[in-house]
Amino acid sequence: MTKKEKELISIPITVNVPYRFAAGKYMTKFLMELKNNGKILAIKCPKCGRVQLPPRVVCAQCHVKNDEWVELSHEGTLVAFTIMYLPLTDPTTGKPHKPPFVYGSVRLDGATSVLDHLVNIEPTMDKVWVGMRCKVVLRPQKDRIGDLSDIRCLEPLPGQKKPRG
Amino acid sequence: MKRNVAIIGGGQTYHAARRHDVNQVEMTNEAIRRALDDAQMRIDEIDAVLVSNMEFFEGTHMTDCWMADGSGAYGKPGIKITTGGTVGATTVCVGAHYVASGLFDNVLCVAFEKQEEGDTGAILSSVAHPLWGRSLAGAAVGYFAMMGSSYMAAWGAKEEHSAMVAVKARQNARKNKYAHLKLDITIEDALNSRMLAWPIRMLDMCPASNGACAMILADEKTAKDRCKKPVWIRAMETAHNEQFELDWRDVKTKRPIFSKVCASRIYKKLGVSDPAKYFDVFEVYEPATWAELVWYEDLGLCKPGEGFKLIEKGMTNIDGPIPVNPSGGVLSTNCIGASAMLRVWEAALQIRGDAGGHQVPKDVNRALTTAYGGTNWAVMTALSKTLD
Ligand SMILES: [Zn+2]
Repeated sequence: MTKKEKELISIPITVNVPYRFAAGKYMTKFLMELKNNGKILAIKCPKCGRVQLPPRVVCAQCHVKNDEWVELSHEGTLVAFTIMYLPLTDPTTGKPHKPPFVYGSVRLDGATSVLDHLVNIEPTMDKVWVGMRCKVVLRPQKDRIGDLSDIRCLEPLPGQKKPRG
Repeated sequence: MKRNVAIIGGGQTYHAARRHDVNQVEMTNEAIRRALDDAQMRIDEIDAVLVSNMEFFEGTHMTDCWMADGSGAYGKPGIKITTGGTVGATTVCVGAHYVASGLFDNVLCVAFEKQEEGDTGAILSSVAHPLWGRSLAGAAVGYFAMMGSSYMAAWGAKEEHSAMVAVKARQNARKNKYAHLKLDITIEDALNSRMLAWPIRMLDMCPASNGACAMILADEKTAKDRCKKPVWIRAMETAHNEQFELDWRDVKTKRPIFSKVCASRIYKKLGVSDPAKYFDVFEVYEPATWAELVWYEDLGLCKPGEGFKLIEKGMTNIDGPIPVNPSGGVLSTNCIGASAMLRVWEAALQIRGDAGGHQVPKDVNRALTTAYGGTNWAVMTALSKTLD
């Protein structure tokens, strides 16, 4: 079987396809506020009141236009996380994230939606837990480029201990 | 449904990590021939052909054209369908619509994936929005890891519980001659396997498989005329999550997430009040162990927070009162484009009593199957032995 396999042809192919992705008005406003003023803006639905992140034009649930911009706190609560042991490639840079590293889902105070990001913390189970309070760490303004990497990471608020049990 | 629809035949390949001996079309054709043999039909008798796989996994577009010879679609009506991980089930759903509408009396549904030919992680990263979350969208393992961490924190489940799911799947797979990972493993083996993303270990995840599945659906008259054991499609349902809303990983969310919405709709259609009693077997889509525990709860087989107790008590074992994935499931075989169709086909085999080594040891009259699509929508299919 192995020998036979070698006689069969299989060729490597790499497909390199350039794209140009338009962010749209709401995502552009979100990213420009983050870049220029360090603000995290969400959008509130006039009907159900959900504070949605990233901002989008229409509330999917109510089918109405979202038009109230809300500035979110830079602090929130971790709702899920993982310690990643695989050198996952960052598709936006082509470079691997160096394992082990922690990333998680945080609900910023005032938001209905969650935000996924790297958590800057020692990758051990004693140091990270669901319910941990975190804050957003931004890049210095001069280094911001207008995408989500302007949020460098999440960091735990000081003075917390992992609850027992 | 406007007309009743039955599964009158089906087939699958032997699933494996390597299939250099065949190309995509040749591999898929193996399942199609088995399905035609099973239904005792010739390709000339097929009215329409539907083909499905994951978009761009094999680096080829317009797969339906590539497949027109090997699928038997040349000269016949039909379309290609791609709805992510759900696609195999969606294709059955579309096939059922074709037949139920009265436009076609039978339809051949085909699903395949040759995962070894592509880079699954790289392709799946394009599921994420380029400006929102793509930098961390390297693999499905991270999503299921977060689901697991949320589940453990919410309900007090331990790593041992996911290990029990890992063992059940691979021990069931050993009874299924077509399954990919037939591993004789113990809970210790699962707990000692390499950590990928806490709390997911190597044995908590599905393999990357090559394989295909094909099924033939027909209207009631055709089914009764020429099939000894038709299996009836009683209800189908699809439900989506909201884009960007990742609540499905937060197991305590009160929001109407895809899996729960889908289950409640299909139960309403069928008048199901106690799914654990109503259905005799379940084939759920579990690319990771934790997903199976969450399915138990989202399907209402137990109360929220009690899924891990079902596995602990052996309730979902092949010989338990609520058998889940006697085939070994996605954890043992994941040729993604075909995985959701395999759930439906395996459930049909259970109803026919033709599952062989992994036949559940009780009467099977009704079965329910599930599928995930990009973890953002769910498709469910309910099957039965009789039309009452
Ligand atoms: Zn709304």
